[in-house]
Amino acid sequence: MESTLQIQEQLLEFVCRNYMVERDDVIPDESLVDQGIIDSFGLVEISGYIQKEFGIVVVDSEMNRANFGSIVKISNFVEKKRNS
Amino acid sequence: MKKRCTHCILSEHFPGVSYDSEGVCSFCRDKSFLQTEENAIQKAQEQVDELLKTVKAQSNTYDAVMLYSGGKDSTYTLYQAVKKYGLKVLSFTLDNGYIPNQTFDNIVKITDKLGVDNLIFRPSKENMKAIVKASALYPIYNKRTMVRISSVCNSCISMVNTQALRIALEKNISIILAGFTLGQIPVNSIIYKNNYTFLEESRAKSNSLLRKYTGEWLDTYYNLPTSLVKNTVEWPTMVNLLCLEKLSEEEIVAAISTLGWTAPKNVDGCSSNCQLNTFNNVIHEKVYGYNPYELELSHMIRKGLIDRETAISKVETMDPELFKSIADDLQISEDEIGNAGSLYKTGK
Repeated sequence: MESTLQIQEQLLEFVCRNYMVERDDVIPDESLVDQGIIDSFGLVEISGYIQKEFGIVVVDSEMNRANFGSIVKISNFVEKKRNS
Repeated sequence: MKKRCTHCILSEHFPGVSYDSEGVCSFCRDKSFLQTEENAIQKAQEQVDELLKTVKAQSNTYDAVMLYSGGKDSTYTLYQAVKKYGLKVLSFTLDNGYIPNQTFDNIVKITDKLGVDNLIFRPSKENMKAIVKASALYPIYNKRTMVRISSVCNSCISMVNTQALRIALEKNISIILAGFTLGQIPVNSIIYKNNYTFLEESRAKSNSLLRKYTGEWLDTYYNLPTSLVKNTVEWPTMVNLLCLEKLSEEEIVAAISTLGWTAPKNVDGCSSNCQLNTFNNVIHEKVYGYNPYELELSHMIRKGLIDRETAISKVETMDPELFKSIADDLQISEDEIGNAGSLYKTGK
């Protein structure tokens, strides 16, 4: 099972590939929305990706800024879900 | 002449594009993409079938509200919703003041033929012009959003989505149908539950900018009433039925022509419902260096749904008269258009 850092790495790779940004453009602990990298479609895409990639189920009420606000928050959320 | 991928039409200024020694872009070289997409479409089809079965069993007045522009894609989607899926649809049209007469004729003809109710919402001409002008001239949206769509189109579609969501909630309708194609939206967005809180958060900055350049009245069009949000337990699901089909433009037009749909003449090759399109595309090219339809058309080329020459002609044939007539209507000067690019770069 991947560590939090490995999850972050995979998320970064996904974000860079899908949103056409360079790795240096992404600040892991800042909101992807505020950085201008994703919009509301991005939330749906990332949610779909983590469910498929990490085998977790995301319910609607969990799709909020606290869980999806940044790369760091998303990876923490994935880890929390896998351990629950 | 602009450098483009030798397989699709992605041009050199498109974000993240690179070309190999044969001039093929990085997107075309990713061979796994189409297979991944095919798998996602199959999964989405299962989810859509399950959702429609549940909603139809509820026997409500309407199963779905459909964003109906009268263009070819939304017409085909409406046709599919009624005839293939057997849904009771309330169609909804946002009249932005730039819909060709022929498109309106199509809306009446098609909804009558399919036995579908239609609601039209028309913002005042003055307000709509202010929104279009601000969206065209100022850096309202982040540049990643602009990869798939022009700024003015994004403002219009955000308004359509918000108003449709309002109708769905007020009328207790569980599904919102749209006629987007893959390339216009990501594959994970074929079916998804509306998440208004996140949507509101992600649009806060752009709404604030748009409000700054237009007026406080903007919220009437882009926000839901607080009481409606507070009282909502179950949010409607967005479904893009057309993404489940693999159809060329010719096949779509042939199918809807049997219903009496006719292509309007006073629009560009990328649109069958809005006279603003040429104007929007020219501004987008000026600001970002590429056409907002490049991603969608390139995606269609990779799927074998359009040939490269036709796609190039769609993005490179712009009628200067059509552009000028819209700029004049919006009272936008050549100087303002010239300054648009620099405003974006400085973020003012």
